[in-house]
Amino acid sequence: MGKWFKSGSPWIWMTGGAVSLSLIAVLGLLLLIAWRGLSFFWPADIYEWKLRDAKGVESTLIGEIYDREQVPSERLITAGVEFAEPPGEFVTRYLVKTGNREFVGLDFRWVLETDIVSRSTPEGIALIERSKNGNFYGYPVAVIENGKRLELSDVQHSLEEHIERAVDIGDKATTLQKRDIGAINHELERLRLKERRAELDGELTDSKKHEFEAARAKLQADYLVLEKELFSLRDDAGRDSVIVRDMRGEEVQLKLDSVLDVTYANRLDFIGKIGHWFGGVANFISADPREANTEGGVFPAIFGTVFMVLLMAIIVTPFGVIAAIYLHEYAKKGPLTKMIRIAVINLAGVPSIVYGVFGLGFFVYMLGGSIDQLFYPEALPSPTFGSPGVIWSALTLAILTLPVVIVSTEEGLSRIPSAVRQGSLALGATKAETLWRIVIPMASPAIMTGLILAVARAAGEVAPLMLVGVVKLAPTLPVDMNFPFVHLDRKFMHLGFHIYDVGFQSPNVEAARPLVYATSFLLVSVIVALNLTAISVRNHLREKYRSLEH
Amino acid sequence: MISIDSSVMKTEALDLENLPASETALEIHNLNLHYGNKQALFNVSMKIPKKRVTAFIGPSGCGKSTLLRCINRMNDLVDNCKISGEIRLHGQNIYDKAVDVAALRRNVGMVFQRPNPFPKSIYENVVYGLRLQGLNNRRELDEACERSLRGAAIWDEVKDRLHDNAFGLSGGQQQRLVIARAIAIEPEVLLLDEPTSALDPISTLTIEELITELKTKYTVVIVTHNMQQAARVSDQTAFMYMGELVEYADTNTIFTTPTQRKTEDYITGRYG
Amino acid sequence: MDKLSTNRHISGQFNAELEDIRNRVLAMGGLVERQLEQALDALGALDAELAKRVIDGDHKVNGMEVAIDEECTRIIAKRQPAASDLRLIIAISKTIADLERIGDACVRIAKAALEKRNNNQQPLLVSIESMGRHATRMLHSTLDALARMDVESALELHREDARLDKEYEGIIRQLMTYMMEDPRSIPGVLDVLWAARAVERVGDRCKNICEYIIYYVKGKDVRHTSYEDMEKDIHR
Repeated sequence: MGKWFKSGSPWIWMTGGAVSLSLIAVLGLLLLIAWRGLSFFWPADIYEWKLRDAKGVESTLIGEIYDREQVPSERLITAGVEFAEPPGEFVTRYLVKTGNREFVGLDFRWVLETDIVSRSTPEGIALIERSKNGNFYGYPVAVIENGKRLELSDVQHSLEEHIERAVDIGDKATTLQKRDIGAINHELERLRLKERRAELDGELTDSKKHEFEAARAKLQADYLVLEKELFSLRDDAGRDSVIVRDMRGEEVQLKLDSVLDVTYANRLDFIGKIGHWFGGVANFISADPREANTEGGVFPAIFGTVFMVLLMAIIVTPFGVIAAIYLHEYAKKGPLTKMIRIAVINLAGVPSIVYGVFGLGFFVYMLGGSIDQLFYPEALPSPTFGSPGVIWSALTLAILTLPVVIVSTEEGLSRIPSAVRQGSLALGATKAETLWRIVIPMASPAIMTGLILAVARAAGEVAPLMLVGVVKLAPTLPVDMNFPFVHLDRKFMHLGFHIYDVGFQSPNVEAARPLVYATSFLLVSVIVALNLTAISVRNHLREKYRSLEH
Repeated sequence: MISIDSSVMKTEALDLENLPASETALEIHNLNLHYGNKQALFNVSMKIPKKRVTAFIGPSGCGKSTLLRCINRMNDLVDNCKISGEIRLHGQNIYDKAVDVAALRRNVGMVFQRPNPFPKSIYENVVYGLRLQGLNNRRELDEACERSLRGAAIWDEVKDRLHDNAFGLSGGQQQRLVIARAIAIEPEVLLLDEPTSALDPISTLTIEELITELKTKYTVVIVTHNMQQAARVSDQTAFMYMGELVEYADTNTIFTTPTQRKTEDYITGRYG
Repeated sequence: MDKLSTNRHISGQFNAELEDIRNRVLAMGGLVERQLEQALDALGALDAELAKRVIDGDHKVNGMEVAIDEECTRIIAKRQPAASDLRLIIAISKTIADLERIGDACVRIAKAALEKRNNNQQPLLVSIESMGRHATRMLHSTLDALARMDVESALELHREDARLDKEYEGIIRQLMTYMMEDPRSIPGVLDVLWAARAVERVGDRCKNICEYIIYYVKGKDVRHTSYEDMEKDIHR
């Protein structure tokens, strides 16, 4: 035994064990999130249950199984649940998503196994996704086209065709509303601000007033035309409806303009399910959120996260690199420099919410307020830069990650062999030329390392953003087709905040849980993608500037 | 008729103390150097003749590299380094306030102990100094590149891969590349700080061969730990000990009949 | 410059090698000195036995020369000696050549001792013997100066050679008188003349060795210079 200890193998086992544990932890985390998140998009079977409760009342239930658990029967009995015959120690119960929110109140329901008489997966049941009120489960019976009921043998085919038509028209309407009408609204707002500006400058003459009026009238006319078109499109989309028999046995008419998709989940074969799954994932990544973020996609959040992080990287890199260069190359080596360096390193340890408070106080109110006073007085009292926005978020996170960039850049600078610097100086280069032509290119892998760490940190931060720019739902992206195309003053959505919002602030926490996992997985993927890009750039640079290690 | 003195074996010895100005490349006068409180050079005075190879030898820490680095003011980079005395190049003291250090270094090139090519292509390494001077004409750069590489006796080895990374070269090739880089800007004086100490014997011989060729165009000052090398390549040798210039004379004299006991002990490998 | 010492090299092996080669040179010198003494003894006593021994002994001297020369080559190749070390090796290399020539002179003297001669030549041999003793003393002093690397005595010995030359001239005059007196004695006189010539050469060789001593210690090549210049060079 003692010999075994002396041989050093316990050490190897201990260290190896620590590594395996970390590896298991990381992999477990990723697998759990990925499994929970991605399985959400797998089309589940839709069941029809026949139920009979303790009093002998029979009913039908249609829905998907969301969850199952073992409950001690005692607890149920104390809770007042009655059983027809005495149950075992534990009773299985299912959480069923029933949908049909507007008819049954709650769209989730617990079902005791003891109550179940039979369970079947009828092929006629369809899952209808709607833009309002969540999913609807039921048997589509007929399609109503233009007020006329079509009795068809193949309801599914006809329904899919009609839905496709309605969705196409709906998309057109959305585009019209967002792009064309949005542009006109934007123009109108600019016009208003111009007029206000002129008024503030005291240059609002009558002739100018007339000009503005004329322009406004023209825009209003355009607007009316577009609005009319929009209304007609909407009417067109709402032309048809579908008649569905729900679990109560009643036939319900659903207008097709609120229907997004129909899935006969029980009719899908495996390949069909895979296709559906990919469709679901793609939709999740590319679509806008609906219904208080609990449905639909997270595209604005992905966009906001990436945009904000890139903006931050653009801000923090030059600042950090320049600061590091000063500290390392120019500052005299003394106690003061040492203190500054320690202070910079300690900045990294300040809790991030403190940065949020600072960002709100300094950037948003002071800096943004002053900018509004100086450059956007026409928009006051409504703030332009004086309220939280993506630029302030990026700046706040830039300060948060500045120490990381400074430290790793300095490290990179100190790793460059002095022989190379002296070689450059000996050829008649000044210090600045040496820095610019030799030192910084050679330090670029280290700068990239700093940036990677900064991006990893920034993409995961939520707390400070809540104060300086993130919102639950942003009506527009920070980038669009209206001049000046990039709107740094706008608020934006963020995956991290989205997770928090969906997971804890949504009206239906049960329903939102898979979305939380899916969004988390997406956040991790986004960060990994950003890092991998940066790492590949760094490796390329490293290869290029392979230092004098031979 | 065969002359008695063979011109291959021996360059004519100069009177180093009374060197005429026309043959003096550098004149060092009463040079003292302190690193903080420690004095590293004591009253060094010497004249370095033009287009000849002058070697500094001496034990480690004797100040020979320090003296070499004074000549192109590389010691300016060292904190709390104080210098008094003069080094005159063309009669102008290089430590004058009016002197542009970068211009001085263009005139006094330097090659270091370890080959230190830049992480760029061979071509870009050679033309680095020219680009610094704002030269960007492709043809002129090409010409200068070829001329310098030929001058450093490496052209034939690299002419087919001018745009490969310089790190792909062997140590000896890298050192010759660095010499090519130094002569690309056509300095008058070339300082070599132990240029072969990191190289194998064959590369060392190529560099030594190169040095004897370089002296036809440049004034070469070389610091070396290898006494045989100093004996082989240099025309005059300065022996330094503890920051003082002990003896400075024709290399033949130093290596056969040195006048100072310390020199004798050092070059014959005796205890100091 | 103060006195050079060979034993302070950082490389102990080099010290040992230089010490060894010096000792061997002195041993060779000792051998040559004995050869000379014996040759002169043989000549004085007309001892054919001794003369033969001297002649046989010469190959030993030659062998030593070759061995020391090899050692010099080896040291130059391996140690690349500089300054005083270099001068020492060069001086030794030259010294042994001269010692070997002195050895040859001994053989010549011994050969003269082997010749049969009539009694009236006896006085000639006496005068040679006195010159020979002089040469022996000179060789002894030279070897002594070599052992101590003594410049002053080397300089003194350098001058001594002139006296030996004078003696030689005296002997020649004497021999010429003999030859004129009695032409039949010429073959015998020539033998003696050869012997005298050999003794005179010993002095020249000693003078050469003294020059090497001066070269080693002072780094000055004093060959073919006048005595005054030499003295000036040395005492500068």
